[in-house]
Amino acid sequence: MQVRFLPGPLLKDSITLSFSIYKQPIFVSYSVKTQTFQLLNEIELIQGLRNGDESAFKYVVDNYKDRVFNTAIGIVQNAEDAEDVAQEVFIQVYRSIHSFKGESKLSTWLYRIATTRSLDLLRSRKSKKRFGFIQRLFGDGNEPLYEIPDFNHPGVALDRKENAAKLFKAIDQLPENQKTAFTLHKLEDLSYQEVSEVMQTSIAAVESLMHRAKQNLRKMLEKESG
Amino acid sequence: MNKEQNKKVEDILSSLDGVQKAVASDFFYTRLKARMEKGYEPVGAKSWVLRPVYAMAALVVVILVNAAVIFSGQNNTREDTIADTDTFQSVAAEYALNDNSANLYDLNQDK
Repeated sequence: MQVRFLPGPLLKDSITLSFSIYKQPIFVSYSVKTQTFQLLNEIELIQGLRNGDESAFKYVVDNYKDRVFNTAIGIVQNAEDAEDVAQEVFIQVYRSIHSFKGESKLSTWLYRIATTRSLDLLRSRKSKKRFGFIQRLFGDGNEPLYEIPDFNHPGVALDRKENAAKLFKAIDQLPENQKTAFTLHKLEDLSYQEVSEVMQTSIAAVESLMHRAKQNLRKMLEKESG
Repeated sequence: MNKEQNKKVEDILSSLDGVQKAVASDFFYTRLKARMEKGYEPVGAKSWVLRPVYAMAALVVVILVNAAVIFSGQNNTREDTIADTDTFQSVAAEYALNDNSANLYDLNQDK
């Protein structure tokens, strides 16, 4: 359990500290004026964001940046691009918090934005690659093709790096929804229930996506090694 | 597929088991704030003009405008020709210009 003080007051004349129990962030605010403790929930944190409270925003960034970054790096398979995507996610949160209805958890919403943004980046990368190919056909081929080298995930143990690089190469070839489900479940360790909430689908659909993803990965790897 | 190949594939598939989560840089918030203050340009963002739907719409508009200009041009030409003929005839009648008067300097005319 990690306890931390928020850098500024979420409520007026108060000190706020936060900690997580089973991935659920809990905020406790101590009012200097009334000398009372108050338990803040996610709704109040979101209210702080809506009011443009920088300390609430900083708290959200500090508490969720690793989850967003880890999701993004699993999909885009490049650390610099993943940081760019993660920044965009928080900028979108800051700008569109008013449109967040609170029907899902804040973390679910963040994962959803992170996966959407990451997939957008992959599409943009593909179109750049296609455009580069066309440019080469017409003779203006000075710009190199956007080739991504083998990706080494920073969390993979040294003795598994080579195999993990092969697996990431295969993951990159999966259809978008299978890639998203596989990344969220395998890398971000989300349950099928949580993945289904992020992807706005049923648990059965996630199970099916995971099954097909594993089948496709096996086929690709067999083809490569055979 | 032989046993060895199968094991190799299984090893690759299980290479992400127990993977540690990647963590963002310690300066993430500072960089984020700097980007927000600088003005934000999304990665891979395309201008709305380059979106296929707008490009197609623009193409259709250009084709329609061209077609409209061509067809209206044809109608105008016919009308203009008729109008021009009428004007010439009326001017010719008013100034008594006929075929004979067309050759004013025809020296053989009175002969």
